[in-house]
Amino acid sequence: MDTLVRIEAVSKIYPRVHKSRERLQAFIALLFGREPAHGAKVLNNINIEIVRGQSLGIIGENGAGKSTLLKVLTGVIQPTCGRVMVHANIAAMLELGAGFQPDFSGMENVRMKASLMGLSNRELDERLDDILEFADIGEYIHEPVKHYSSGMVVRLGFAVITACRPELLITDEVLAVGDESFQKKCISWIQQFLEQGGTLLLVSHSMYVVQKLCQKALWIHAGGIEQYGDVFPVTQAYLAWHEKRSARDQEMRIKAAGDGAYYRIEHFTLAGGLGGDQPTFAMGEDLDIELLIYSPDDRPPVGVVGVVRADGTPVYGVVSDNENAVPVKVSGHHYRFRLRLKNIALLPGSYNLSAHSMDPEGIRVFDSQQLAFTITGSTKEVGYIRLPHEWL
Amino acid sequence: MTPGKKKKFEWVFFQNLVVRQIRQDYLDNVTGFAWLILQPLMLLAVYAFVFSTIFKARIPEAEEIGFVPYLAVAFWPWTAFSEAILRANSSITANGALIGKVAFATEQIPLASVTATFIMHLVGYLAVLIVLQLMGTGVHWMYLAVALPVMLLMWVFACAIALFVSAIQVFIRDLAQILPPLMTFWFFTTPILYSPSYLPESIQKIAQWNPMAWFVARLRELLLFGDLNLDYKALAMLLFVAIFAWASLRFFRRFSGHFEDFL
Repeated sequence: MDTLVRIEAVSKIYPRVHKSRERLQAFIALLFGREPAHGAKVLNNINIEIVRGQSLGIIGENGAGKSTLLKVLTGVIQPTCGRVMVHANIAAMLELGAGFQPDFSGMENVRMKASLMGLSNRELDERLDDILEFADIGEYIHEPVKHYSSGMVVRLGFAVITACRPELLITDEVLAVGDESFQKKCISWIQQFLEQGGTLLLVSHSMYVVQKLCQKALWIHAGGIEQYGDVFPVTQAYLAWHEKRSARDQEMRIKAAGDGAYYRIEHFTLAGGLGGDQPTFAMGEDLDIELLIYSPDDRPPVGVVGVVRADGTPVYGVVSDNENAVPVKVSGHHYRFRLRLKNIALLPGSYNLSAHSMDPEGIRVFDSQQLAFTITGSTKEVGYIRLPHEWL
Repeated sequence: MTPGKKKKFEWVFFQNLVVRQIRQDYLDNVTGFAWLILQPLMLLAVYAFVFSTIFKARIPEAEEIGFVPYLAVAFWPWTAFSEAILRANSSITANGALIGKVAFATEQIPLASVTATFIMHLVGYLAVLIVLQLMGTGVHWMYLAVALPVMLLMWVFACAIALFVSAIQVFIRDLAQILPPLMTFWFFTTPILYSPSYLPESIQKIAQWNPMAWFVARLRELLLFGDLNLDYKALAMLLFVAIFAWASLRFFRRFSGHFEDFL
C-alpha cells in the first residue's frame, strides 16, 4: 500500500513561555538540541499511518490534542519527539482564514495563499475563474477581508484549496461555519475528491459529517489514541462515552449541591392497569400517575409528565404551571401531583413515562425519573397514537 | 521525507511578500510611490543644510567632491542595511498568525522584509545619485555595474544578520529594545559621517574588520572616485558573507519549527 503519512511515536510538549526566564531557558535548550525542561504535554506517543485513498476522521473532546496533531502533521510545529513522514502535497485548512491578511482584498489574499501553496502565477490565472465561482462571494472579492463574514472567509479559503488539487486534504472544524448550501457544496466536493483517489483527514465534532465522509476514525483523548478503527464503532463508542460523562456530571452536580438543595422527585408511580412486572395497560384504559416532589424552600414546585417511545421519540408532554395545576402539600416540604391520562390513545408498544421536577418558577429542571410501561391491544393502525377518526 | 524538508522556498509567494511589504509602506499614502523618491531627496536637502551650512563639515581627502556627496553615497546603503535589519527583527512576531497556521519555509518572512527595504532604498539611492550629478558631482556611472554587485553582497550580509536576529527575537523579546542602540553604535563606528583617516590608529586596526566599513569605502571609491579597488579583500569578503549566510540559515532553521510554541 502507498503510505502518504506515517507518524511514529510522536509526542508534543508545549514549553512554558510566559516568563522571559522560561523563554531564555527554552531557547538555550533548543540551541543545544535538548528537550524543554518543563511544559504541557499535549500529544503522547501517537502512531498513525495513512495510506493513499483513505479518509480518516479525527474526533475527541475540546483540548484533546486534535488540532495539535494536525499542526504536527502539516509541519506547522515540530514534534518534541517522534518522527513524521509525509509523502504527499498537502492542502490544509487549520483555521478560519488561516494565512489571510485582513487589510488586503480577497483577490490579493487568494494570490498570496495560492502562491504559498506552490501555485505558479500562470496556474492561478487558469484556475481563478473556478476559485471565484466556488467561493461565490460576488463583488466582495475586491473588498478587504476584514469586512468579510466568517462564512465568506471559509468560502474563499476552501475555494483556493479546491484549486490546488492536493493529494492530501486536511481540514479542521472549519466547514461548520459556512451556510447549509455551502456546506453541502464542500461535502460533495470532498466526496468527489475521495472518489478520484484523494486522501482526507478531517477533524470534526459532527459525527454525521465524520460518518458521511470517513472510512476510519481516530478518537484522541488527553493527547493519546483512545480508539482507532472503522468509523461506525469508533464514533459510537465516542458518543456513548460522552453520554456517560454527562450523566456522571449531572450526578456530581446534584451531589455537590447537597441533599436538601434541590427539587427532587421523591416518589413516582403509575397505578391501574393489568399489573405484572411492568405496568401494562390495554388501549383505552386510564393511567393514574402520582408524583411526589420535595421542595427545599417549601414553595410549590412545578411538575412535568411526558410519554416517550422506547426509542426516545417524544409523544406527549404536559407542564403543571402551564395548566395552572397546583400540587397538594402532603407534609412539610412534600408536594404531590396527581394526573390521570384518560382513555389512553397510545397504540400498542413499549413506552416510557417520564417525570421532571422544576423550581416554582418553572425555569430549571432539577430531577428526572422514568417508568417503563406497555400498551397492549390488537390493531393494524400504525404510528404512536390513535387519532379520533371515522371513514365517511 | 520529513515535513521540515517538505517546506520549499516558494518564489511566487516570496515575490508576493516583497510586493506586499512595499505596498503596505507606500500605497496607503495619498501620493503613493512618489514618496519612494521624494523622501530621500528631502533627507538629502536636510543633510546638505545641516552639514554644509551649520557644521561646515569637510573631508580633507575629498575636498573637490564636497561633504554632501561624500556622505550621501555611503548614507543610503547604510540606511537600507540598518532599516532592513530592524524591520526583519520583528517580522516573525508580526507574522505570527501566518506562521502558526500554515506550514511554509518561515525564512521567507525576514528575507522578504530585507529585500523589500533594499528595493525601496535602492530606488531612493538612484534618485539621490541623479540629483548629485545634476548638482555638479561627477558620479562614475560606469562603475554602477560593480557597485550593484557590491550592494547585492551587502543585501546578502543584511539577510544573514536578519535571519540571525529575527530567530532570536522570537525567544528573547528584549532584542527589539537592544538592537536600535546597537545599530546606532555601529553607524557611528563606521566611517559614514567621516573619513576613515579620522579614526585614531589604534582603532583603525580594529575598524578594518568592520564589514560595513568595507562596503561603504568600496561604494565611495567606485561611484565618487571611479576607483576599482577590488583586491583579495573582496574575495575574502565574499567568502565571509557566504559562510555567515549559510550559518545563519542553519541557525534560523534550527529554531523555525519551534516558533509557533513561542509566538
